[in-house]
Amino acid sequence: MKRLLLLSFLIVMVSPALASAGEDGVKILNERCAYCHDLKGPAPQTIRQLWKRDAPDLFYAGDKYRREWLVAWMQKPVRVRPAGVNYLRAINSTPTHLKKTKKGRKYDVLWGKYLKPLQHEELSQPEAEAVADVLMGLTQHYDLTASEHFDASKKVTLDQGELLIDKVYGCESCHQIEPGYGGYTGSELYTAGKRLQPEFMLSYIRRPKNWDPKIWMPNLHVKPADLQKIVNYLILLSKEDYNASH
Amino acid sequence: MPVIKWMFAVALLMFVASPATHAEEAYLNYKTYCMQCHGMHGKGDGVNVPAMNILPRDHSDHDYMMKRTNSEIYKVIKFGGPAINKSVKMPSWGDTFTEEELRELVGHIRRLCCEKELIRGVNFK
Repeated sequence: MKRLLLLSFLIVMVSPALASAGEDGVKILNERCAYCHDLKGPAPQTIRQLWKRDAPDLFYAGDKYRREWLVAWMQKPVRVRPAGVNYLRAINSTPTHLKKTKKGRKYDVLWGKYLKPLQHEELSQPEAEAVADVLMGLTQHYDLTASEHFDASKKVTLDQGELLIDKVYGCESCHQIEPGYGGYTGSELYTAGKRLQPEFMLSYIRRPKNWDPKIWMPNLHVKPADLQKIVNYLILLSKEDYNASH
Repeated sequence: MPVIKWMFAVALLMFVASPATHAEEAYLNYKTYCMQCHGMHGKGDGVNVPAMNILPRDHSDHDYMMKRTNSEIYKVIKFGGPAINKSVKMPSWGDTFTEEELRELVGHIRRLCCEKELIRGVNFK
Protein backbone atom coordinates (compact mmCIF):
# COMPACT_ATOMS: atom_id res chain seq x y z
CA MET A 1 0.00 0.00 0.00
CA LYS A 2 2.87 2.33 0.89
CA ARG A 3 4.57 1.49 -2.38
CA LEU A 4 1.40 2.25 -4.31
CA LEU A 5 1.07 5.57 -2.53
CA LEU A 6 4.70 6.41 -3.19
CA LEU A 7 4.29 5.50 -6.87
CA SER A 8 1.15 7.57 -7.29
CA PHE A 9 2.87 10.47 -5.49
CA LEU A 10 5.84 10.21 -7.87
CA ILE A 11 3.56 10.10 -10.92
CA VAL A 12 1.65 13.15 -9.74
CA MET A 13 4.87 15.08 -9.04
CA VAL A 14 6.96 14.04 -12.05
CA SER A 15 4.49 13.98 -14.94
CA PRO A 16 3.67 17.73 -14.83
CA ALA A 17 7.40 18.41 -14.65
CA LEU A 18 7.95 16.34 -17.81
CA ALA A 19 5.05 17.94 -19.56
CA SER A 20 6.24 21.40 -18.62
CA ALA A 21 9.77 20.55 -19.87
CA GLY A 22 8.29 19.84 -23.30
CA GLU A 23 6.16 22.98 -23.18
CA ASP A 24 9.17 25.01 -22.05
CA GLY A 25 11.18 23.68 -24.98
CA VAL A 26 8.50 24.68 -27.49
CA LYS A 27 8.14 28.08 -25.81
CA ILE A 28 11.89 28.76 -25.88
CA LEU A 29 12.10 27.66 -29.50
CA ASN A 30 9.24 29.87 -30.57
CA GLU A 31 10.28 32.91 -28.56
CA ARG A 32 14.06 32.84 -28.85
CA CYS A 33 15.00 30.66 -31.84
CA ALA A 34 12.30 30.95 -34.51
CA TYR A 35 13.34 34.52 -35.31
CA CYS A 36 16.43 33.26 -37.14
CA HIS A 37 15.95 29.48 -37.52
CA ASP A 38 13.35 27.89 -39.78
CA LEU A 39 11.41 25.39 -37.67
CA LYS A 40 8.73 24.53 -40.20
CA GLY A 41 10.37 24.12 -43.63
CA PRO A 42 10.61 23.76 -46.52
CA ALA A 43 14.25 24.66 -47.26
CA PRO A 44 14.93 27.63 -49.60
CA GLN A 45 13.80 26.81 -53.14
CA THR A 46 15.49 29.71 -54.96
CA ILE A 47 18.84 31.45 -54.67
CA ARG A 48 17.19 34.63 -53.44
CA GLN A 49 15.48 32.71 -50.63
CA LEU A 50 18.80 31.02 -49.83
CA TRP A 51 20.52 34.37 -49.37
CA LYS A 52 17.89 35.42 -46.85
CA ARG A 53 18.67 32.51 -44.54
CA ASP A 54 20.13 33.73 -41.24
CA ALA A 55 20.73 30.45 -39.43
CA PRO A 56 20.66 26.71 -40.12
CA ASP A 57 17.24 25.18 -40.77
CA LEU A 58 16.03 23.22 -37.78
CA PHE A 59 12.90 21.59 -39.15
CA TYR A 60 14.86 18.35 -39.62
CA ALA A 61 17.07 18.74 -36.53
CA GLY A 62 15.95 15.35 -35.22
CA ASP A 63 17.24 13.68 -38.39
CA LYS A 64 20.48 15.62 -38.35
CA TYR A 65 22.02 16.27 -34.94
CA ARG A 66 23.19 14.14 -32.06
CA ARG A 67 21.25 15.09 -28.95
CA GLU A 68 24.27 15.22 -26.61
CA TRP A 69 26.04 17.66 -28.95
CA LEU A 70 22.94 19.86 -29.17
CA VAL A 71 22.65 20.06 -25.38
CA ALA A 72 26.33 20.94 -24.94
CA TRP A 73 26.39 23.42 -27.87
CA MET A 74 23.32 25.35 -26.81
CA GLN A 75 24.96 26.03 -23.45
CA LYS A 76 28.21 27.17 -25.04
CA PRO A 77 27.62 28.08 -28.70
CA VAL A 78 30.65 28.42 -30.99
CA ARG A 79 30.92 28.97 -34.74
CA VAL A 80 30.65 25.79 -36.81
CA ARG A 81 31.02 27.35 -40.27
CA PRO A 82 34.12 29.57 -40.50
CA ALA A 83 32.46 31.86 -43.06
CA GLY A 84 29.07 31.83 -41.38
CA VAL A 85 25.83 30.22 -42.50
CA ASN A 86 25.58 32.61 -45.42
CA TYR A 87 29.09 33.07 -46.74
CA LEU A 88 27.96 35.61 -49.32
CA ARG A 89 27.45 38.13 -46.53
CA ALA A 90 30.89 37.60 -45.05
CA ILE A 91 33.01 37.66 -48.17
CA ASN A 92 34.79 40.72 -49.53
CA SER A 93 37.32 41.65 -52.20
CA THR A 94 40.90 41.99 -51.02
CA PRO A 95 41.26 45.29 -49.14
CA THR A 96 43.45 47.80 -50.99
CA HIS A 97 46.21 47.81 -48.38
CA LEU A 98 46.57 44.03 -48.70
CA LYS A 99 46.76 43.94 -52.47
CA LYS A 100 50.51 43.50 -52.60
CA THR A 101 51.50 40.51 -50.51
CA LYS A 102 54.98 39.05 -50.26
CA LYS A 103 54.01 36.20 -52.55
CA GLY A 104 52.39 38.61 -54.97
CA ARG A 105 48.98 36.95 -54.71
CA LYS A 106 45.70 38.24 -53.34
CA TYR A 107 42.45 36.54 -52.43
CA ASP A 108 38.94 37.40 -51.43
CA VAL A 109 38.73 37.63 -47.67
CA LEU A 110 36.21 37.23 -44.91
CA TRP A 111 35.47 40.49 -43.11
CA GLY A 112 38.57 40.83 -40.98
CA LYS A 113 40.70 37.75 -40.55
CA TYR A 114 37.76 35.82 -39.16
CA LEU A 115 34.16 36.78 -38.61
CA LYS A 116 33.10 38.39 -35.38
CA PRO A 117 32.50 35.89 -32.55
CA LEU A 118 29.20 34.10 -32.98
CA GLN A 119 26.29 35.87 -31.34
CA HIS A 120 23.84 33.22 -30.23
CA GLU A 121 21.43 32.63 -27.37
CA GLU A 122 23.04 30.77 -24.47
CA LEU A 123 20.73 28.40 -22.62
CA SER A 124 21.00 26.91 -19.15
CA GLN A 125 21.29 23.14 -18.90
CA PRO A 126 17.58 22.48 -18.12
CA GLU A 127 16.59 24.83 -20.96
CA ALA A 128 19.03 23.14 -23.36
CA GLU A 129 17.70 19.71 -22.39
CA ALA A 130 14.11 20.84 -22.94
CA VAL A 131 14.88 22.41 -26.31
CA ALA A 132 16.93 19.39 -27.42
CA ASP A 133 13.96 17.14 -26.60
CA VAL A 134 11.73 19.20 -28.88
CA LEU A 135 14.36 19.48 -31.63
CA MET A 136 14.90 15.72 -31.69
CA GLY A 137 11.21 15.40 -32.48
CA LEU A 138 11.53 17.52 -35.64
CA THR A 139 12.03 14.82 -38.23
CA GLN A 140 10.57 16.00 -41.53
CA HIS A 141 13.22 14.12 -43.52
CA TYR A 142 12.98 10.84 -41.65
CA ASP A 143 12.44 9.05 -44.98
CA LEU A 144 15.92 10.10 -46.15
CA THR A 145 17.82 8.85 -43.10
CA ALA A 146 15.68 5.71 -42.68
CA SER A 147 16.96 4.36 -46.00
CA GLU A 148 20.63 4.76 -44.95
CA HIS A 149 22.58 2.09 -43.10
CA PHE A 150 25.83 3.04 -41.44
CA ASP A 151 28.48 0.31 -41.58
CA ALA A 152 30.93 0.85 -38.70
CA SER A 153 33.09 -2.03 -39.93
CA LYS A 154 34.41 -0.02 -42.92
CA LYS A 155 37.15 1.49 -40.79
CA VAL A 156 39.88 3.74 -42.18
CA THR A 157 42.95 5.35 -40.67
CA LEU A 158 43.22 9.14 -40.41
CA ASP A 159 45.68 9.16 -43.34
CA GLN A 160 43.42 7.08 -45.58
CA GLY A 161 40.48 9.30 -44.69
CA GLU A 162 42.39 12.47 -45.42
CA LEU A 163 43.42 11.03 -48.77
CA LEU A 164 39.76 10.47 -49.64
CA ILE A 165 38.67 13.89 -48.41
CA ASP A 166 41.47 15.84 -50.04
CA LYS A 167 42.82 13.99 -53.08
CA VAL A 168 39.93 11.84 -54.26
CA TYR A 169 36.90 14.07 -53.69
CA GLY A 170 38.44 17.47 -52.94
CA CYS A 171 36.18 18.26 -49.95
CA GLU A 172 39.01 20.10 -48.21
CA SER A 173 38.72 23.00 -50.66
CA CYS A 174 35.67 24.17 -48.70
CA HIS A 175 35.80 22.24 -45.42
CA GLN A 176 38.39 22.28 -42.63
CA ILE A 177 39.70 18.95 -41.33
CA GLU A 178 41.43 20.65 -38.41
CA PRO A 179 41.28 24.23 -37.16
CA GLY A 180 42.68 26.52 -39.85
CA TYR A 181 43.41 23.68 -42.28
CA GLY A 182 41.02 23.74 -45.23
CA GLY A 183 38.47 26.05 -46.86
CA TYR A 184 36.08 28.45 -45.18
CA THR A 185 32.72 28.16 -46.89
CA GLY A 186 31.74 24.71 -45.62
CA SER A 187 31.09 23.59 -42.07
CA GLU A 188 34.07 22.27 -40.08
CA LEU A 189 34.59 18.55 -40.56
CA TYR A 190 36.62 17.86 -37.45
CA THR A 191 33.51 18.15 -35.27
CA ALA A 192 31.08 16.56 -37.74
CA GLY A 193 31.31 13.10 -36.14
CA LYS A 194 30.28 14.50 -32.75
CA ARG A 195 27.68 16.83 -34.18
CA LEU A 196 25.84 14.77 -36.77
CA GLN A 197 24.13 11.41 -36.97
CA PRO A 198 25.97 8.93 -39.26
CA GLU A 199 22.84 8.31 -41.35
CA PHE A 200 22.46 12.03 -41.94
CA MET A 201 26.08 12.32 -43.09
CA LEU A 202 25.59 9.39 -45.48
CA SER A 203 22.43 10.85 -46.94
CA TYR A 204 23.69 14.44 -47.15
CA ILE A 205 26.97 13.58 -48.85
CA ARG A 206 25.13 11.22 -51.21
CA ARG A 207 22.94 14.07 -52.47
CA PRO A 208 22.95 17.44 -50.63
CA LYS A 209 20.13 18.66 -52.85
CA ASN A 210 17.68 16.25 -51.20
CA TRP A 211 18.09 18.20 -47.95
CA ASP A 212 18.74 21.70 -49.20
CA PRO A 213 17.82 22.19 -52.88
CA LYS A 214 19.94 25.29 -53.50
CA ILE A 215 22.93 24.71 -51.22
CA TRP A 216 26.43 25.36 -52.57
CA MET A 217 27.67 21.86 -51.78
CA PRO A 218 27.83 19.84 -55.01
CA ASN A 219 26.83 16.23 -55.49
CA LEU A 220 30.23 14.56 -55.88
CA HIS A 221 28.74 11.19 -56.83
CA VAL A 222 30.70 9.49 -54.03
CA LYS A 223 30.93 5.72 -54.46
CA PRO A 224 28.87 3.82 -51.84
CA ALA A 225 31.96 2.11 -50.35
CA ASP A 226 33.80 5.43 -50.09
CA LEU A 227 30.74 7.01 -48.51
CA GLN A 228 30.91 4.56 -45.60
CA LYS A 229 34.67 5.14 -45.29
CA ILE A 230 34.25 8.93 -45.24
CA VAL A 231 31.64 8.78 -42.47
CA ASN A 232 33.83 6.38 -40.47
CA TYR A 233 36.73 8.80 -40.98
CA LEU A 234 34.68 11.79 -39.81
CA ILE A 235 33.70 9.94 -36.64
CA LEU A 236 37.35 8.98 -36.05
CA LEU A 237 38.46 12.55 -36.78
CA SER A 238 36.04 14.00 -34.24
CA LYS A 239 37.76 11.99 -31.48
CA GLU A 240 41.07 13.79 -32.09
CA ASP A 241 42.09 16.38 -29.52
CA TYR A 242 43.10 19.47 -31.48
CA ASN A 243 43.81 21.54 -28.42
CA ALA A 244 46.66 19.15 -27.61
CA SER A 245 48.56 20.01 -30.80
CA HIS A 246 47.78 23.74 -30.97
CA MET B 1 -3.24 51.31 -85.00
CA PRO B 2 -2.49 51.86 -81.28
CA VAL B 3 -2.98 48.11 -80.79
CA ILE B 4 -0.23 47.37 -83.32
CA LYS B 5 2.04 49.88 -81.63
CA TRP B 6 1.28 48.30 -78.27
CA MET B 7 2.06 44.81 -79.59
CA PHE B 8 5.26 46.08 -81.14
CA ALA B 9 6.31 47.60 -77.80
CA VAL B 10 5.63 44.34 -75.93
CA ALA B 11 7.59 42.33 -78.50
CA LEU B 12 10.49 44.76 -78.24
CA LEU B 13 10.42 44.60 -74.46
CA MET B 14 10.50 40.79 -74.54
CA PHE B 15 13.39 40.84 -76.97
CA VAL B 16 15.39 43.20 -74.77
CA ALA B 17 14.43 41.95 -71.32
CA SER B 18 14.74 38.19 -71.83
CA PRO B 19 18.54 37.97 -72.36
CA ALA B 20 19.03 40.46 -69.53
CA THR B 21 17.04 38.22 -67.16
CA HIS B 22 19.07 35.19 -68.24
CA ALA B 23 22.29 37.11 -67.69
CA GLU B 24 21.16 38.10 -64.21
CA GLU B 25 20.27 34.52 -63.29
CA ALA B 26 23.65 33.31 -64.57
CA TYR B 27 25.37 36.01 -62.54
CA LEU B 28 23.46 34.95 -59.42
CA ASN B 29 24.43 31.33 -59.99
CA TYR B 30 28.06 32.29 -60.54
CA LYS B 31 28.01 34.39 -57.40
CA THR B 32 26.48 31.66 -55.28
CA TYR B 33 28.34 28.56 -56.41
CA CYS B 34 31.51 29.58 -58.29
CA MET B 35 32.60 32.64 -56.32
CA GLN B 36 33.79 30.68 -53.28
CA CYS B 37 36.78 29.44 -55.32
CA HIS B 38 36.93 31.49 -58.53
CA GLY B 39 36.54 34.78 -56.66
CA MET B 40 34.17 37.73 -56.65
CA HIS B 41 35.47 38.95 -60.00
CA GLY B 42 36.27 35.53 -61.47
CA LYS B 43 40.00 36.05 -61.18
CA GLY B 44 40.67 32.68 -59.50
CA ASP B 45 41.14 34.38 -56.14
CA GLY B 46 38.22 33.06 -54.09
CA VAL B 47 38.10 32.98 -50.32
CA ASN B 48 38.88 29.24 -50.22
CA VAL B 49 42.00 29.49 -52.38
CA PRO B 50 44.64 29.79 -49.62
CA ALA B 51 43.67 26.23 -48.56
CA MET B 52 44.16 24.77 -52.03
CA ASN B 53 47.21 23.12 -53.52
CA ILE B 54 45.84 23.64 -57.03
CA LEU B 55 44.66 27.11 -57.99
CA PRO B 56 41.24 27.67 -59.58
CA ARG B 57 41.11 29.04 -63.12
CA ASP B 58 41.24 32.79 -63.61
CA HIS B 59 38.18 33.35 -65.79
CA SER B 60 39.41 36.77 -66.81
CA ASP B 61 42.58 35.24 -68.30
CA HIS B 62 41.74 36.07 -71.91
CA ASP B 63 44.62 34.20 -73.55
CA TYR B 64 43.98 30.92 -71.74
CA MET B 65 40.20 31.06 -72.00
CA MET B 66 40.38 31.70 -75.76
CA LYS B 67 42.05 28.29 -76.08
CA ARG B 68 39.04 26.58 -74.48
CA THR B 69 35.84 25.82 -76.38
CA ASN B 70 32.35 26.41 -75.00
CA SER B 71 31.72 22.66 -74.97
CA GLU B 72 34.80 22.14 -72.78
CA ILE B 73 33.59 24.79 -70.32
CA TYR B 74 30.13 23.20 -70.31
CA LYS B 75 31.68 19.77 -69.71
CA VAL B 76 33.89 20.90 -66.83
CA ILE B 77 30.98 22.56 -65.02
CA LYS B 78 28.65 19.63 -65.52
CA PHE B 79 31.05 16.72 -64.92
CA GLY B 80 33.91 18.31 -62.97
CA GLY B 81 37.64 18.81 -63.56
CA PRO B 82 38.55 15.18 -64.38
CA ALA B 83 36.20 15.33 -67.42
CA ILE B 84 38.77 17.51 -69.20
CA ASN B 85 41.87 16.10 -67.45
CA LYS B 86 41.87 18.76 -64.77
CA SER B 87 41.82 18.58 -60.97
CA VAL B 88 39.15 16.94 -58.80
CA LYS B 89 39.10 20.22 -56.90
CA MET B 90 36.67 21.39 -59.58
CA PRO B 91 33.55 19.42 -58.59
CA SER B 92 30.73 18.32 -60.87
CA TRP B 93 27.74 20.66 -60.73
CA GLY B 94 25.50 18.61 -63.02
CA ASP B 95 23.11 17.82 -60.18
CA THR B 96 22.87 21.46 -59.10
CA PHE B 97 22.12 23.22 -62.40
CA THR B 98 19.54 22.61 -65.10
CA GLU B 99 20.69 22.36 -68.73
CA GLU B 100 19.55 25.91 -69.32
CA GLU B 101 21.43 27.22 -66.29
CA LEU B 102 24.58 25.40 -67.42
CA ARG B 103 24.46 27.06 -70.85
CA GLU B 104 23.82 30.45 -69.28
CA LEU B 105 26.81 29.96 -66.99
CA VAL B 106 29.02 29.19 -69.99
CA GLY B 107 27.79 32.46 -71.49
CA HIS B 108 28.57 34.31 -68.27
CA ILE B 109 32.12 32.94 -68.17
CA ARG B 110 32.57 33.99 -71.80
CA ARG B 111 31.49 37.50 -70.85
CA LEU B 112 34.16 37.52 -68.11
CA CYS B 113 36.99 36.56 -70.42
CA CYS B 114 36.14 37.43 -73.96
CA GLU B 115 33.63 40.26 -74.25
CA LYS B 116 35.24 41.74 -77.37
CA GLU B 117 35.12 38.41 -79.19
CA LEU B 118 31.47 37.98 -78.16
CA ILE B 119 30.64 41.34 -79.73
CA ARG B 120 32.57 40.39 -82.86
CA GLY B 121 30.51 37.18 -83.03
CA VAL B 122 33.40 34.68 -82.70
CA ASN B 123 32.26 31.06 -82.81
CA PHE B 124 33.50 29.44 -79.57
CA LYS B 125 32.13 26.00 -80.62
